[in-house]
Order: sequence, then C-alpha cells, then structure tokens
Amino acid sequence: MPECSVYYQPESISEAVNFLASSERTLKPLAGGTDIVPAMRKGEMNIDGLVDLSKIPDIRSIKIEDNEIKLGSLCTFAQIERSPLIQTKASLLAQAAGAVGSPQIRSLGTIGGNIANASPAADTVTAFIALDAKARLESTNGTRSVLVSELLCGVGKTNISSNEIIAEISFKIPSENNQSGFIKLGRRKALAIARMNLAMIITLHDGLIDFARVSLGAVGPNPSRNTNLEEFLIGKKPSDSLIDSFAQFAGEEVSRMLGSRASAAYKCEAVKGIVRDLSSRLFLGSEQVVI
Amino acid sequence: MAQYHLEMKVNGNSVALDIDPGLRLLDVLRDCLHLTGTKEGCSEGECGACSVILDGELVDSCLVFAPQASGREVITIEGVARNGELDYLQQAFLDAGAVQCGYCTPGMILAAKVLLDRNPHPTRQEISKAISGNICRCTGYAKMVQGVELAAASKEAKEGAVRA
Repeated sequence: MPECSVYYQPESISEAVNFLASSERTLKPLAGGTDIVPAMRKGEMNIDGLVDLSKIPDIRSIKIEDNEIKLGSLCTFAQIERSPLIQTKASLLAQAAGAVGSPQIRSLGTIGGNIANASPAADTVTAFIALDAKARLESTNGTRSVLVSELLCGVGKTNISSNEIIAEISFKIPSENNQSGFIKLGRRKALAIARMNLAMIITLHDGLIDFARVSLGAVGPNPSRNTNLEEFLIGKKPSDSLIDSFAQFAGEEVSRMLGSRASAAYKCEAVKGIVRDLSSRLFLGSEQVVI
Repeated sequence: MAQYHLEMKVNGNSVALDIDPGLRLLDVLRDCLHLTGTKEGCSEGECGACSVILDGELVDSCLVFAPQASGREVITIEGVARNGELDYLQQAFLDAGAVQCGYCTPGMILAAKVLLDRNPHPTRQEISKAISGNICRCTGYAKMVQGVELAAASKEAKEGAVRA
C-alpha cells in the first residue's frame, strides 16, 4: 500500500499551481498515472502526495490557433492517435501515439506525462522533438514557454520546477506538402518500450528535399534531433540509392552518438532498418516493412 | 492517511464510499465492491488481466488511482451480461472454446467489447490489435480471435433478424 498522505484534486490550473506553491510537502502532479501508480506501489516515488490533474477540464483539448496545433497536456495517446486533425496535419505524432504501450495504456497515458517522465524511449517525445514543439508551463510565478528539447535534461530528468505544471504542448503546423512518419523498434509488437524510435518530416520542392527533420529516441538520454542527418537529406532527390546512403549514414551517426555503450553494436546496425523502412514510406510511398 | 469520498457508477449502479486515495481502481472493485471478476495479474500494465471499461475506454485498473475514476462510469465483466443472459461475446467465447484457465478471460472480453462497440465488423488484424494489451498464458489466442469473429457474426445475424 503506498503512503499517500496528500491527495488533492484541483478543478483548474490556478487551483493546482496555488496548491503546489503553498504546500510544504513534496508533491507530484498526477496525469494519466501509468508510470506513477505502479512506481508508488513499489515505493519508488519518495513523495508525500499527489496533485491529480484529471479533473481539470481545459487541458484535454486539441485545437488550431495561429497556424499552431495546441494540445492540452492531459490529452491521452488514444485521443491523439484517433484525432483526424493530428492524423492529417501531423501524421508522425498520431503514429507515435499509436505506438505507445497497449490500447489500455494509450487510453490512460498523456502527452504531458510522457514529457515529464523523460524516458529516453518516450515515443511521442521523439515526434514532439521533430516538430520543434514547445511546452507551456504554469506556476504561481506565471507562464513560461520552453522547447520540449530544452525541458529534457537526462534520463528521467527535466527542468520542470516542483511548483510548475505542463499545461499545453504546441507546434507549428508542418507545411501542407510535408511527408511525415514515425517508426519504432521494439522487442515485440505489443507493449514494447522502444529499443529505438525515429520520427521524420520532409518536404519536397521541385523534386528535391528542401526541409528535413530527423529525431531519434533511445540513442541518448533523451530523444533528440540529429542535424547531421537532416543536412544530409537537403537538396537530394528521393530515390532507392538515397535511402541506401541515408541508412548507411544513420548507422555511422548512431555509432558516433553511442560511443562505447554496450548497445552501440546492435543499434548502429538496427537503425539502418528503421531508417530504410520509414524513408521508403516517406520518399516512395512504399509500405514495405523490413523489421 | 487521507480519506477520499469516491462516487462513481459501476455497471450502471451509483456507488459512494470513503477510501484511502492510494487505492487503485482495481483494489476498490475487488476488495470494497467484491467484484472479483476483474483479476490482478502483473500490477504494472503489462498483462491486461485487470482491464475494465472507463467511460467507454479500455484501461488497466491497476494503473488508475481510484479517485481518478470519481464521477466516471466503470464497466467490469460483471456488467456485461444483461438480465441473466450472456452477452454475444461471452457466448461466443464459450462456443469457440476460447476459455482455458479463465484468468485472462474477463479482460479479453472487455477488450473485445470495446472493439465491437466501435467497429462491429473487425478484421482479424484489428481483433489482434484490440487484444494486444491482454496476455493469455495458456496461449489460446487463435480461439479468442475466432470467438470475437463469431460474436460479431452472431450479433449481426440476430440484429438482422430483428430488423427483418
């Protein structure tokens, strides 16, 4: 039985941040609970209590404002996966959300929780990084907006203060003619934590790639963009030979990123497979699956 | 230890009880409401034995603190049969021989129910995906997929007959 001496259920963000600021106890915001509930039971949390965000109504919406998609931090993976707006405007994010855990976990887990948990293998975080998404954080000191990539600072670590709550995640809508996607390599199809994941966005102009975003997860403490891989694609024409050379280069990049880590030998080979698969989908519209 | 006043709907009935907020929905269902059809397996969201339907969505009740379910509607395996009559899925699982030890069966039925409520004619692939968060250690998956197909067909046949 977990020790939970405080369980507070605010009905608005301002109530939540006021409670966090005024309490002298060590509290943690509770979003979906898929990581916190089992961790509490195993005694791994070392906190006095929880601020349950599930009763705050206005942090669950998906909307477009000023050419940006704005997602409430408590949007579940299932909501994102099924949203026609996300499917059409940011397909990589819908695919990433659909790759998380199991149907049960996708109905509970939230995008805000995925960021705050700061797992190296967080599926939607890899997509958010590719989208250069920002998080809006609220506290009694006011609002701040930070790139998701800058919030993450190590395995399980973020720059989110103990009195702050993630309220919203937003990103510019990728241009109309973009191709985007997400792919994950897991030990099995269902319920796998990614051994590696990859999100990409490209756009073409006159048959040549003129914009590329490449984000890799589980090849470092947090998912990150790889600008070398992005630059490699710029100005090139999508083709089978480009897929070959891009996959080869991705292997070299992963090898460089992982250095002498035990997983390096496996991952620098395996990344070629996921790069090949996702690039084929984006460059050639091919659905061939190589894993 | 803090106390929490929990009010929710379970299988169509309103329930209200005072609980330790650190209890999971699973604990409240089994230990407070004695709805022991919901099983505890791995306690970390890997096995799906504790699956219930929360506001129409399939969830692992071991990953939900009971207060998160307040004001919401829960359906457990006990709420699937109506007026003493088995649901299509329950009957189809029996007919298809999809029940072995039975431990995963409540979760499987509920996972399949969420699928059929949204998609009355699923493909085999869609069925497999819908039950991908539920583990059967007897490994009787093939019969379960057949069971779901059978349920979809018998539901359609009966509803077709009613319409005709």
